[in-house]
Amino acid sequence: MAKPTIIVVGADKGGVGKTTVSRTLLDYFTAHQVPTRAFDSEAPKGTLKRFHPDCTDVVDVTSIPDQMRIFDTLSDASVTVIDVRAGLLSPTLRALRDIGFLDAVKKGQFTFLLFHILGSSIASLNEIEDTSQFTTDAKYFLVKNYFNNTTFFEWDQATHANYFKKLKDAVEITIPKLNEMAYEQVEVASVPFLTFVANKGPKGDSANYSFVLRGYVRHWLGNVWAEYDRIKLNDIIAATPANPRVQVVR
Amino acid sequence: MPQTPLYIVASPHPRVGKTLLARLLLEFFHSEKRPLLGYDLNPREPTFAGYFPRWVFTVDIADTRGQMELFDQLIAEKPVSTVIDLGYGAFEQFFSVLGEIGFAAEARRRGVETTVLFISDRAPATVRAYGELRRRLPNVPFVPVHNESVSVSFDNDDFPPSRPEFRRISIPRLSPIVRGVVDRPSFSFGSYLVKPPSGPTEIHDWVATIFNSFRDLELRLMMGQVTSALGGVSLGPPPIPRR
Repeated sequence: MAKPTIIVVGADKGGVGKTTVSRTLLDYFTAHQVPTRAFDSEAPKGTLKRFHPDCTDVVDVTSIPDQMRIFDTLSDASVTVIDVRAGLLSPTLRALRDIGFLDAVKKGQFTFLLFHILGSSIASLNEIEDTSQFTTDAKYFLVKNYFNNTTFFEWDQATHANYFKKLKDAVEITIPKLNEMAYEQVEVASVPFLTFVANKGPKGDSANYSFVLRGYVRHWLGNVWAEYDRIKLNDIIAATPANPRVQVVR
Repeated sequence: MPQTPLYIVASPHPRVGKTLLARLLLEFFHSEKRPLLGYDLNPREPTFAGYFPRWVFTVDIADTRGQMELFDQLIAEKPVSTVIDLGYGAFEQFFSVLGEIGFAAEARRRGVETTVLFISDRAPATVRAYGELRRRLPNVPFVPVHNESVSVSFDNDDFPPSRPEFRRISIPRLSPIVRGVVDRPSFSFGSYLVKPPSGPTEIHDWVATIFNSFRDLELRLMMGQVTSALGGVSLGPPPIPRR
């Protein structure tokens, strides 16, 4: 049987699209029929919970009772996605180390994936080095989210290489831009991307979303999932490797 | 049930006769008393809409709102025979959006068959654009159009139709004086045909030839749909109408 998988989606910088990426992951696992639960650390009101109310709980990952809610019940689902609020990535990773979770990952009891969402600032890129010290036994993904037309210093190869080429085991993921109106329409609808594409409302009722906007979302979601397929996400969560570090997909 | 046609009159270049062909198609629908609709995607110079202010809407698809106005409408309404005059300025964006949102498949599901009428010319870029579009939209029928006023010769190898039976449509050259008459903003093929001045004229023959090509094309498209519905079993070539 596959080990429980924990996927932490986070960044210390705000507004880089953490929840958007978490939503695409939940949709991906729904489509692949993988039992998944999610924790939203944006207490008291979670954005992720607004889109995926059935599988999401709002928690404070720095509080011990909520840590117990998450980590003492990991075997209840094959995949647990934790959407970490801006500024809480480093404290969360420290807490994971302090409670012995990272040691358990090292021993092969859990599969741990970190989706580090990057912003287009040096401060954001500096997070990579701070974060990487906690990812020795994790699969570390550097997520370039282009949803707001940002760049990641590709125009300055020296700076780009300085941040993106240093970590040999980190794998880059690219999230393409989604049409602004389509994004906003999904926001208004407050449904998962998949539900929007299927033209359904929050309760599964028929909706009347624009075909054009649904088409844009379908195309975009397909591209995002193609990235997840490229990194063999489904295989990673299903696998029970002896040494996860060696299994990093390139 | 036969699909309702949606014709996209396209070329990456200006002044090759797109609006003329769009006008002829709309007049053809009208002559057959079909419900019809047109879209003019030349917001800066909506000549097509100028000819048919009651039937043709001008839409700017440069932004998402305009794209919704066009594509959502095309599949929302009860299907009617529709012509889109695709201005060369919107050429790339139109086909990019059409492919991205999966329009043709959804339209077909709703009883609308999208067909691209691509006006050829001798420019190598046009040949490349045709080939690339066909690759990008493999499930959309492409029919080449040879406007003899634009180029004298036509190379079948440069503009092969999606299926061998979709023969190219030729628009014969009109004499300059007659062309001047046809291009007048107030000129209507339909009215002219109904009220001939005194017996058949050059325009009558010209329109009859083109309308026959349209009938031929629609017959062949219909046969293609029937063949597809039967799982690819060919019923043989359709009869060629007498010209």
